[in-house]
Amino acid sequence: MNSRPSRATRTATAVASLALVFAFARPLQAQGAQPERVVCVSKQINEFMFAIGAQGVLVGRDLTSIYPPAIVKLTSIGYHRALNAEGIISLRPTLFLTDGNYGPAEVTAQLEKVGVPILTIKPGQSIDSAAALLVTLGKRFHREHAADSIASAMKTKMAAALKDTVKWANGPKPRVLIMHFGQIANNYLGLRRGSIGDQMLRWAGGVNALDSIGGMQRLTPEAIAKAAPDIIIATDVGFDRFGSGEKFAAMPGVDLTPAAKTHRIYRIEEDDVMYYGPRTVDALHRIEAILHPAAAGRK
Amino acid sequence: MPERRGYGRIYLLLTVLLAASVLASAALGAFRFTPAEMFRYLLQAIGISEPAATDALARNVFLHLRLPRVIVAGLTGAVLGVSGTLMQGVFRNPIVEPGLAGTSAGAAFGAALVFVLGERTTLAFTQPLGTLAVPLFAFIGSFLATMLVYRASASFGKVNVFTLLLAGIAVNAVCTAGTGFLSYIARDPQARNITFWNLGTFTTANWRGTIVIAVVFAISFAALSRHGKSLNALMLGEDEAASLGIDPSALILRLIIINTAMVAVDTAMVGVIAFIGLVVPHILRMLWSSDYTFLIPASALAGAFLMEVIDVIARFVISPAELPIGIITAVIGAPVFLWILLRQQRAGSVVVDG
Amino acid sequence: MVELRGVHYRAGAAHIVRGVSLAFRARKFNVILGPNGAGKSTLLKLATGLLEASEGAVIYDDEPVKAIGVGPLARRRAVLSQHVELAFPLPVEDVVMMGRYPHFARVPSQHDRDIIAQALEVVEMTAFRVRSYSTLSGGEQQKVQLARVLAQIWMDDQQTGEKYLFLDEPTSNLDIYYELHLLEAARALLARGCTVIAILHDINQALRYGDAFFVLEKGRLAQETDDESAISAELLERVFRVRARRATDARSGETFWRFDPG
Repeated sequence: MNSRPSRATRTATAVASLALVFAFARPLQAQGAQPERVVCVSKQINEFMFAIGAQGVLVGRDLTSIYPPAIVKLTSIGYHRALNAEGIISLRPTLFLTDGNYGPAEVTAQLEKVGVPILTIKPGQSIDSAAALLVTLGKRFHREHAADSIASAMKTKMAAALKDTVKWANGPKPRVLIMHFGQIANNYLGLRRGSIGDQMLRWAGGVNALDSIGGMQRLTPEAIAKAAPDIIIATDVGFDRFGSGEKFAAMPGVDLTPAAKTHRIYRIEEDDVMYYGPRTVDALHRIEAILHPAAAGRK
Repeated sequence: MPERRGYGRIYLLLTVLLAASVLASAALGAFRFTPAEMFRYLLQAIGISEPAATDALARNVFLHLRLPRVIVAGLTGAVLGVSGTLMQGVFRNPIVEPGLAGTSAGAAFGAALVFVLGERTTLAFTQPLGTLAVPLFAFIGSFLATMLVYRASASFGKVNVFTLLLAGIAVNAVCTAGTGFLSYIARDPQARNITFWNLGTFTTANWRGTIVIAVVFAISFAALSRHGKSLNALMLGEDEAASLGIDPSALILRLIIINTAMVAVDTAMVGVIAFIGLVVPHILRMLWSSDYTFLIPASALAGAFLMEVIDVIARFVISPAELPIGIITAVIGAPVFLWILLRQQRAGSVVVDG
Repeated sequence: MVELRGVHYRAGAAHIVRGVSLAFRARKFNVILGPNGAGKSTLLKLATGLLEASEGAVIYDDEPVKAIGVGPLARRRAVLSQHVELAFPLPVEDVVMMGRYPHFARVPSQHDRDIIAQALEVVEMTAFRVRSYSTLSGGEQQKVQLARVLAQIWMDDQQTGEKYLFLDEPTSNLDIYYELHLLEAARALLARGCTVIAILHDINQALRYGDAFFVLEKGRLAQETDDESAISAELLERVFRVRARRATDARSGETFWRFDPG
């Protein structure tokens, strides 16, 4: 359905654009309205769409949506905070799907002006709200059965896992610092108390090494040293910059922490600690294994 | 002088190039339009023919997204080109940019204030302004920064060009630090807004903003084109220009005000775009003439042409996503500028304030 | 005629020109003499109308210079200073054309173009007409500037009104060839109705080319005379702080000054 030319042709046309305007331009196709064409710029919602089997309606994603791997085949329309309306509209979407986190703000008005509906579903901050998101998507895209079963399976497994975490209640609670890498300003951010990552820490029997409450906090070497975590969990991009725990531990500030001195620096996927979803139970188990290596070892 | 030199032929060439680039920019991108389609939509827009329901999407995209964007890109190129010419004339220095007298940095700071503080109680009064808040504050910031630079450098009623440059660098630094601080204390989404806007973009082009920029530029250009001779005379030095019947201080002040208005209004919408003001006058001088009666109109045409080409590139390279404009201008502009500098050095021409 | 009446100039705490009253001789080569810091440049700038006097008046043909608009003033008087460097390349004829700026609004006329051609001829720079100004030597550039100021106050048969050419040490950086050429060209203007008022750094050249002499000392007029022999050795020694004695050219009988450290 998409009659857009290959990358090579586009580049060649760019070079000789003046003459080629007349040679290569094609009249637009009349818009066929029947099948749904959804552009979704939220990576959480994209993951859920695949989970419930609704991915057939997706025609476009944002740059950061890379799970599951199959999604990469979809056209990327750019970074979700630096969108351009024309790029979105060129995919002839019947729906623009988002969790509310996109920019620039003008894109909203531009899409409305052209008549592209926008659907915003906020995922919330709990397992239940994530389950509700799955159900909502299921209803909207006619995958109720799959959505309901995945949502309830998720809740059941989560409930069981949470009941299991009671065993950490009376034991030692290591101080943990989750370090995320902010690619905009090229700095490290710590997940504070009240964030989803922090909640998972607490379930897994740990305590946040940061005292402050909120979303994310810019980390300075002093702040890291002051937090003095026993364990550092770094998300993928921030960890992979150094390639190994030893090199990561050599960072200023980090090198003064108990975590560095006892070689307890671990890597985790960003998605594991940023939103709740069907993969959260496995993520929780991974975190438990990191925090309590002696006691862990169950599936 | 103008007719004998054949400037008319050059204007014609630049106009043809501009027209071709505008056509290309209007036609190409994530959406493609044929000239026939463009013509049809335009006729429908002014009510001559009836719009068909089937191409509502394409027509809306063309009229509401593509067209204002193409026009804003051209206007921005013209604004920056003329501004660069103007400032190089005022400072009598080839390494001068609209950004150097605090104009662009002040605009960015004003806009950042709205981005970051606009929702909190300190600046809650910006809410009723809605989308006008950003351009308005950008203009105020830009104007204050430029006036600060001017005040710092004018004494005994005369403007000292060296002090102007130094004060501009200082004010630039303060504004940039302010913007940086704001993006530091900002919550994540807001900080990212600033970052991307700062890199320059035509994505947010709409008709209202475009018309504002067009009107301001038209007025500014009309006012400026009277001063070609004066800028030429200024090349001899302020005293020499004064003995030719020009008031250098008054002229410089007037030119600065016009320049600020033009650049601030544009920056408020499209962000900070560098190097156009530096490169366009240089290339025109190299190819043809340093005569300001020629440079002012020529840099408008050439700047607009260059910006259209850059916009096409921005929308094409990673389509349907797009590159920030400022990145492309830096990638193209910086090497060209260095090349110009090296050529000048080798030719031994003097680059000194008179 | 250009007159100064009780002119003072203060800049901040400095009292640079102190109560100078003089009348420059019409259609003559007037020379202002004095050591560094005597206020010569300031005095000249006051006379050109570029600086406004703190006290007193500068009069052009019985009209206060303040009352003359900048445009008309630019058509009556021109100023040639020390070396002008251009930041951007321009052809010689464009530079000379700037001298005609006070005379046309947007586009120069054929008359203007004829004048700059003639001005270039006077300074013998016609062959350089389309050369880039920046490629010229210092002396050639200064000749172009002279052509420009000549074009500015060009005297042809139809026009009336006195014209004034001010020279502010225009030959400081030039070799003797260009220095003499420039001074000869300036003198030649007198016959055509121009008044020259100049600051020259070389005392002997000044006395040789000048018709009227104004000696400045610490902002005051120390002597005003049309007879160069009226300038005494004592005056020169006091004002310039050197030892001065007259010497005679054995062949021509002309006198000139020899200076020794004081």
